[in-house]
Amino acid sequence: MTTQDGALDLAESTKVKWRQYAVTAGRIGLAVLLLLAWKIGAERAGPLYVADPVLVAQRIVTGISSGELLYHIYVTLRLSVIGFAIGCFFGVALPFVLRRMPRVTNAVEPYIMASVGVPKYALVPLFILWFGIDDAPKLWLIGFLVFYPVFIAVFAGIRNVDRRLVNMARVAGASEAMISREVIWNSLLSFFMASLKIALPRAVSAAIIGEFLVGDAGLGYLIEYSRQNFDTVGVFVGIVVATALVLIINAALVWLDRRVNAWRPTERDMQI
Amino acid sequence: MSAQPLLEVRDLSKRFASRESRDASLWVIKDLSFSVRDGEFLTIIGPSGSGKTTLLNMIAQIDAASGGEVRFKSESAPINDPKSLNPGLSCRIGYVTQEDNLLPWRTTLQNVLFPLTVQGRLNDETRARAAELIRHVGLAGFENHYPHELSGGMRKRASLIRTLVYDPPVILMDEPFGALDAQTRAVLQEDLLRLWEMGRKTIVFVTHDIGEAIALGDRTLVLSRAPAKVAGEHQITIPRPRDIRGIMSHPDFGPLYQRIRAQVQ
Repeated sequence: MTTQDGALDLAESTKVKWRQYAVTAGRIGLAVLLLLAWKIGAERAGPLYVADPVLVAQRIVTGISSGELLYHIYVTLRLSVIGFAIGCFFGVALPFVLRRMPRVTNAVEPYIMASVGVPKYALVPLFILWFGIDDAPKLWLIGFLVFYPVFIAVFAGIRNVDRRLVNMARVAGASEAMISREVIWNSLLSFFMASLKIALPRAVSAAIIGEFLVGDAGLGYLIEYSRQNFDTVGVFVGIVVATALVLIINAALVWLDRRVNAWRPTERDMQI
Repeated sequence: MSAQPLLEVRDLSKRFASRESRDASLWVIKDLSFSVRDGEFLTIIGPSGSGKTTLLNMIAQIDAASGGEVRFKSESAPINDPKSLNPGLSCRIGYVTQEDNLLPWRTTLQNVLFPLTVQGRLNDETRARAAELIRHVGLAGFENHYPHELSGGMRKRASLIRTLVYDPPVILMDEPFGALDAQTRAVLQEDLLRLWEMGRKTIVFVTHDIGEAIALGDRTLVLSRAPAKVAGEHQITIPRPRDIRGIMSHPDFGPLYQRIRAQVQ
């Protein structure tokens, strides 16, 4: 009986393994196909419209070895990180402050929710008018774009906290600060992590768009400057690097999410 | 016999505003009074919907009362204003709720240590006490498991000793074994009696199971249907230590059961 089960398990696990190999092979195949399509597309459309992937790869290598491309990446990343930190701080802090003031929350909530609808990119000219042409208008843009998804997720997360857990903690002698830190923060952590998946890539996009409009460095500047000089390869380099940046950030997030949510029942546990 | 009760409930009332009309309101509890001696195991029995949980929530100061007062060591606590509630009366009233309410992101041990952590009382002595309690209820080896990895009975045990570990003088229990199968339930009742006989806490234990009320309590109060009032009071004369599984064959059990049965509607 048990040996039979064991044999079945083994057969099942080799099947699963082959399925995984097939998926990986499919992914690699798809990547090759996409690169090929890009290459053919470049030859058909001409170098002005679509840059040759080989030239793009070469430019990336020389850009990295000369340090010039690294500098642009650094400028964009720095801007994204600072703007993200500002937006994220207010996105988390404001719901915690509002939690203590239910009446103020009721009064303010429709206004906050209405302000979600304001197209933030349309505010950039105002930001430039008010805050000049340094980093400030870009930081305002990134901050706003990060603030909303984080705020909405944390706000909803606080509303969803199990009252019974809060009461348990109160009876056990926890102060309001401890309840916020321990019960509420941990309860809404999955909401927060989900919002980061939207907010972090947004921060990079917003930085790039900000650089289109003002500034003299960064990936957005590189793309826009290349376009003005009919340097399509440069435009593609900017796009490829920006995409890679977002992918790396996403991978880091997935890793962080797994660490933070290590206690959650996994799919393996769900199967009986 | 000390004349001074440890916990005293006087004319306690609770009203919930009715949804249909503004002036009609529903009294769940009206002028309920009783007292508990130091070290007494009081069981309270009532039909479902008789406001048992509401009663414990008011004593634990999670919910505000609509009238009346609760006295602890003859000091009155202001529980009629939601803003001045002091949940757990500064860690002197423990509360084992119907659901285990374990924090899902904390392991068994971290959950048991939670009250000590927030009270700033985590030291070698209290850690040793926690380890002893964990061993006592058979959770040894599961200290680093998360609640979702434990069975219902184990979660119950963890939530029970989470309250015992910080040693509050009064412990409220709201049908803690309600959702368990009969076998697990009997084992947990035995565990509870054993732990209680070691420390002789004052316990207010709410249940809808007459057998459980008799098996565990020194005294049983019967609550009426809403608005809840004390419909009857019974001294449980069965001597301790009690044999939970054999309690039904004790000569006092049958008559007590019948008398209580007649009062529970």
